[in-house]
Amino acid sequence: MKKKIAVIFGGRSAEHDVSIITAYNPIISSLVATGRYDLYPIYIAKNDSWYSNNKMTGIEFFQKDDYETHLGKKLMISFDEGLKIIWPGVKRRTVKIDLVFPAMHGTFGEDGSLMGLLRMANVPFVGCDLFASAVAMDKVLTKQILAIEGIKTVPYIWFMKEDWDKKRDYGMEKASQLKWPLFVKPVHLGSSIAISKVKDVSELERAIDVAFHYDDKVLVEESIENLIEVTLPIMGNENPKTANIERALNKTEFFDFTDKYLSGGKGKKEKSGNQTEIPAKIDEVLSQKVKDIGVKTYQILGCSGIARVDFLIDGLSGEVFVNEVNTLPGSLYHHNWKKAGLSPIDLVTGLMDLAEERFNSKKDITYNFKSEILKSALGPKGNKIS
Amino acid sequence: MIKKFLTRYNFNYPRSLVYMLQSCEYGVKNYLAWYHRTDDFSQVEQRKELDLTVRAKITLIATLFVYFSLIILSFLLIFNLSAPYKIVTLVCAIILIPHITAYFVAFFSMIIELSIKKPIEFFIAKKTEKILKKSNAIKIAIAGSYGKTTMREILRTVLSEGRKVSAPSHNHNTLIGIARFVEKLNGEDALIFELGEYYPGDVKKLCKIIKPDIGIITGVNEAHLERSGSLKTTTSMIFELAGFTKGANLYLNGEDDLVVGNISQDNIIYSRFGIGEYKVNTPSTDLSGLSFSTLIKEREVILKSELLGLHLIGPIMTALDIGLRLGLSIDEIKRGISATKPFPHRLNPKIDGSGVVIIDDTYNGNPDGVAAAIDFLSSLSGSRRFYITPGLVEMGERTEKVHREIGKRLAVANIEKIVLIKNSVTPFIEKGFKEENGRGEIIWFDDVFMLFASLPLLTAKGDVVLLQNDWSDQYQ
Repeated sequence: MKKKIAVIFGGRSAEHDVSIITAYNPIISSLVATGRYDLYPIYIAKNDSWYSNNKMTGIEFFQKDDYETHLGKKLMISFDEGLKIIWPGVKRRTVKIDLVFPAMHGTFGEDGSLMGLLRMANVPFVGCDLFASAVAMDKVLTKQILAIEGIKTVPYIWFMKEDWDKKRDYGMEKASQLKWPLFVKPVHLGSSIAISKVKDVSELERAIDVAFHYDDKVLVEESIENLIEVTLPIMGNENPKTANIERALNKTEFFDFTDKYLSGGKGKKEKSGNQTEIPAKIDEVLSQKVKDIGVKTYQILGCSGIARVDFLIDGLSGEVFVNEVNTLPGSLYHHNWKKAGLSPIDLVTGLMDLAEERFNSKKDITYNFKSEILKSALGPKGNKIS
Repeated sequence: MIKKFLTRYNFNYPRSLVYMLQSCEYGVKNYLAWYHRTDDFSQVEQRKELDLTVRAKITLIATLFVYFSLIILSFLLIFNLSAPYKIVTLVCAIILIPHITAYFVAFFSMIIELSIKKPIEFFIAKKTEKILKKSNAIKIAIAGSYGKTTMREILRTVLSEGRKVSAPSHNHNTLIGIARFVEKLNGEDALIFELGEYYPGDVKKLCKIIKPDIGIITGVNEAHLERSGSLKTTTSMIFELAGFTKGANLYLNGEDDLVVGNISQDNIIYSRFGIGEYKVNTPSTDLSGLSFSTLIKEREVILKSELLGLHLIGPIMTALDIGLRLGLSIDEIKRGISATKPFPHRLNPKIDGSGVVIIDDTYNGNPDGVAAAIDFLSSLSGSRRFYITPGLVEMGERTEKVHREIGKRLAVANIEKIVLIKNSVTPFIEKGFKEENGRGEIIWFDDVFMLFASLPLLTAKGDVVLLQNDWSDQYQ
């Protein structure tokens, strides 16, 4: 019998649309091409309702302006003996899912929320687990953990929205002590949304306000002069392997959302506009250093399945700084893996194997503990409950 | 099933019939065979479109006229008949109109063939013969079930280094194609003709017009077996050339068993091992081409070509021998051979943006060509190799045997990924592959469109993908 695979995408996130692209290219298209699985695309709408229907076989469904009116009945989910999806109604249908392939970027998907849900459901799922996802989603927390383990990140400060509203001048003064120009970033957002590079105080204040529009925690960090910006996709559980180091050949000063997605995607750009270089033409020693730091970062954060580590390199000193970790790289960075000798189908099915490997390795862990504590617990008035 | 049946009543139905007649090169037998095995007429004109030549236009207009006249006539009858006859007429009309139209297309084609095409061809043949008689060029004729175009292109490239050479382009190997070609002759030293063999007498007819000085027989196999009926008939059809170029003026492929069985003492035999006194030494091939050396007039000559596969050494040696006969210098021949490159759709390698090597061999649809392609793929070590095919067509009663042999060859070659299109012949490839305990993975696709959409998902940098043969619409 074919395995039943659910691909979950969409969601209440600024990266909702990017998530749909990742779901179809390469995940769903690869699974369809193998012909080996029963596939259930599950779309989470921006209002959090879940849908799945057989019209969602191609991305074309979501490219129509009125797709939201064709989503059909809302889906129900059950955690009774695994993850089950239910189409309610007279012709009620229930399907038990064997494995989930999360394809949600940003909040409620990539931040560990969905992973928590899937852990509760006791179903194998692809990609990083709850803890790594939650830490990597918080750029500040990532920097703090990496610093403890001796991995360099660029100097930074951070604010919560509450603090910024109350002590704006203090925040501005603190930020001004960093080496300009600065980058302002919402802490929990990916895809370069609401990131600004600022050169003076007025730009900084405006950029922080913009970032707080999308997040309640904002990071201000120094920029690197003579910057070489590279990224490294990594895959695996216990023994991670690396793809090619990919270099951003920026047209603008940094890759914003439009650069990343609206100009044809990174892979295509590399072909037409030559905006990324795979593999990056950097010297061998530096290349090995990036790979070593990348794998170490992956392991420190407890990543599994797949992730991508972004780096900032000072071109003059050769210093390597980890910029951030992305636990669900857009479209799984399949263009890069393909150039590293791994086809999109092998990438997708390989990730599914890793998900099962992790799931099985945790099967023997005992989560229950038999105790007498309940019997000896006292009632609200200090009386023993009999 | 009902949905498919109703496709006969589509407005596009008459056009589909004419398109398929044209795809069958106006061969009524093949057209009717297609008609009888087809149940869905909505999926006919998929890969190409009807080429609106004069003949196609006339046939289409006549077919549309018959189709709609029959419909109008049926309505008139229904309105003018009494109740029980109305229903009978209606049922008969519904059932018969598509069939009558389909048979009309075949009948109309035969009428055009006999009343217009044949008389025109007679006059064209006389005119072509006259032009060629006046030409002083050496005339080289190539016959065979396979390898004709490759031989023509190698000869043209090599001989062009020292002589003015011309040949009809593409697959213009029929009387009309040759007639159009000779009209443009302009003082050539050598002319190269491919002789198309569809039915007995075809090669003989063309030879009478061309009067070749040199003949080359590239091989005999099951290609077009459904037209000839048997390999014996195919062999005698191709060897009609031997009646015009005897002895040392006839070059024969020594690697083909059916050709070898018809060799006479004075013929020149070519193969990957050499030709006549010229022996091939240290042959090698990879994705960059092939190379070997040979001793000519006591001089060791290293020859290199961008063509892929050791099986092409034989044709290259034939070009070398004919070049020397025509007085080309060794250096001219060497230069000519180094200028030979893979031809479009014949073991033609390309590398895509991701570093995947695609070898396009989609015009190669005969068992010997397939064997050579698999052998070449097999020789490429260190890569993950994909072999993709919908199988071969027109293999007649040898269909199962030919495809099982392909499967066995793939198994022995240790090809890692065998990608097959679901149809009537590919299960035999799987059968042969399993009989030989092939270790590679067999991947199935419902149709070629799904396959090409999925190919970028299947492959990665370093993979080598061989696309073998392509089926036209009539075989889908």
